[in-house]
Amino acid sequence: MYARDGVLPMTRDRTLDRRGFLRAAATLPLVGGLVAFASPLLRFLKPNVEPFDVLQPTRHDPPAGEPVVAATLAELQKPWDFKYFVYTQKYPQYTPEGFLSASVPGVAIRLPTKIRMPWDWVRATGETPQFTESEIIVFSRICPHLGCIYNFVGDWREITAGYGGYVPPRERQHALMGCPCHLSIYDPADPEQPGRVLSGPAPRPPRTFFYTIEGDRVLVRRVEPGGIA
Amino acid sequence: MARVWDNLREWYRDRRSRLDLFDETMVTRQANPFYLLGPMLYYFWLVTVVSGILLMFWYEPTPEGAYNSILHIQHAVPLGWLIRGVHKYAADGVILCIILRIYRMYFLGEYKRPGELSWMWGFAGLVLAMISGITGYLLIWNQRAFWAAKTVLTVPVYFDELTAKIPVIGERFNVGSMIAYLFLGGPAIGAATLTRFYALHFGISLVLLILIEVFYYRTRRQRLNMSLFPILVFSAMLVYISWALPAELGRRADPNRTPLPILSDWYFLALYQYVKYTPPLWAGLGPGLLIGFGMLVPFLDRSKGRRPLERPFFFVVGLLALAYFLIFTALILFNIAVIEREPPLVLLVTTVVLSLAFVWEIRYRRRQARTVPQAAPAPARAAAH
Repeated sequence: MYARDGVLPMTRDRTLDRRGFLRAAATLPLVGGLVAFASPLLRFLKPNVEPFDVLQPTRHDPPAGEPVVAATLAELQKPWDFKYFVYTQKYPQYTPEGFLSASVPGVAIRLPTKIRMPWDWVRATGETPQFTESEIIVFSRICPHLGCIYNFVGDWREITAGYGGYVPPRERQHALMGCPCHLSIYDPADPEQPGRVLSGPAPRPPRTFFYTIEGDRVLVRRVEPGGIA
Repeated sequence: MARVWDNLREWYRDRRSRLDLFDETMVTRQANPFYLLGPMLYYFWLVTVVSGILLMFWYEPTPEGAYNSILHIQHAVPLGWLIRGVHKYAADGVILCIILRIYRMYFLGEYKRPGELSWMWGFAGLVLAMISGITGYLLIWNQRAFWAAKTVLTVPVYFDELTAKIPVIGERFNVGSMIAYLFLGGPAIGAATLTRFYALHFGISLVLLILIEVFYYRTRRQRLNMSLFPILVFSAMLVYISWALPAELGRRADPNRTPLPILSDWYFLALYQYVKYTPPLWAGLGPGLLIGFGMLVPFLDRSKGRRPLERPFFFVVGLLALAYFLIFTALILFNIAVIEREPPLVLLVTTVVLSLAFVWEIRYRRRQARTVPQAAPAPARAAAH
């Protein structure tokens, strides 16, 4: 009603009249209260994450899992005894649970001879192996080719019959591992490179688990990083 | 530069005006079953979309509920088995028609001027239909679906080997893994993957169908260039197959066990065998190059004639592709794949056959060049009439 002629009251009359004073006295606490009420919302104006740097290298959240008992020593007494197990890895994710679980099936195998463990990757994870040679080796059963779950096959003839017709050379005619999807064949007992690819399109041997032996239990602690679970 | 651009636009306008998506301009050749492939493809596609929308009423896109909802559709929903069967077999019909139509266009030289754009759309249609197919069969969440999705989405990870060689980008990005993540929605197959596949499966069909409707609206062509009789026959065929050979369910997906043997859908079998033979980087590159070759065939083939024997090299390439498709499919059905034996053989046969075809092409062109001067007076006589 003051601005009917387009001029604000304060500019018309510089002196503070009674009405103006009362109005200010009433408005200030009201505005103050509103600001106090709304101020928590101000923090939304400040980003709480760093600005996205497009040229940063892509960082994959490192997955983590709890140690799992793969087998007991009693289950792996004779050569070529094996035991399947499942190791659960959790990836940080934007899901209601905050993580996504992916299971990594594994196999623990008793080999006929001691071989050097392929654990060069373990040191980067901050762990130190108890031993460097062992008769027990633990592989991830995720095929390093395209991610199917391969099988431990106790009889090599079964590999020849069911996995595409590959016949292993005489010195490798023992238990082998074969993938049903694209028929990669692995030798778990190769002394230079455990899990060596004998046939098929796989580009590398299967990934291994790092384990320790606690009492009579084979305790699986970490899986070699890389690949899609 | 502007001239090149204008030429390109002129080219595109001209080819677009002669674009033939479903053989709808070949009205006079309808008696020939090979020219029924286009309308059949469109008909099967419509059936697939409609039955697919019906399936969406009951389908539940979650890892826990997907397989159960398929069981429910198959056994509890009234005529659910029919809707599912028709959806599956009509989709197979779409793929079959596209493949046969592509071979027809190839061997009859229909991709030559002015059919380049029609060919490219036909070929892109095959790729899109196969993507729609593979995203569709994950939705059942059975063993075949799960492992197919897993292997297919691991293939792009190996592109990292290639992109690592690009100076700046390669060090900072794992482009291949990023592609895989995009489709997986995370580090492993899960609920996000299923949602994304569902969206792709439905989206590809729907968006293309809308585009095609716009095309028909603008060109005022007849939608289904096919008489009532074949439509009735194909409909009856779909219903009969769905009844006689119900669409299979397979076993529920188990992330901890890969069955042996495991097969993909029939149109992926040859590709699957190829993946067994090659190092994993080539499992992705090979099909990519094949798609690139397919799309560019109209520009690579500079020969004059349309008949197969008038362009020996590309005729042999087509025959070889057909032979490999059939042989690889047969090999995988018998579960035969020995890396030491077969890939060198395949490579040898390919090299020898392609070289012979090249020699044939050269000899044919020389012979043409010799005979043309003698035939030259003919047009002059024709002009005198």
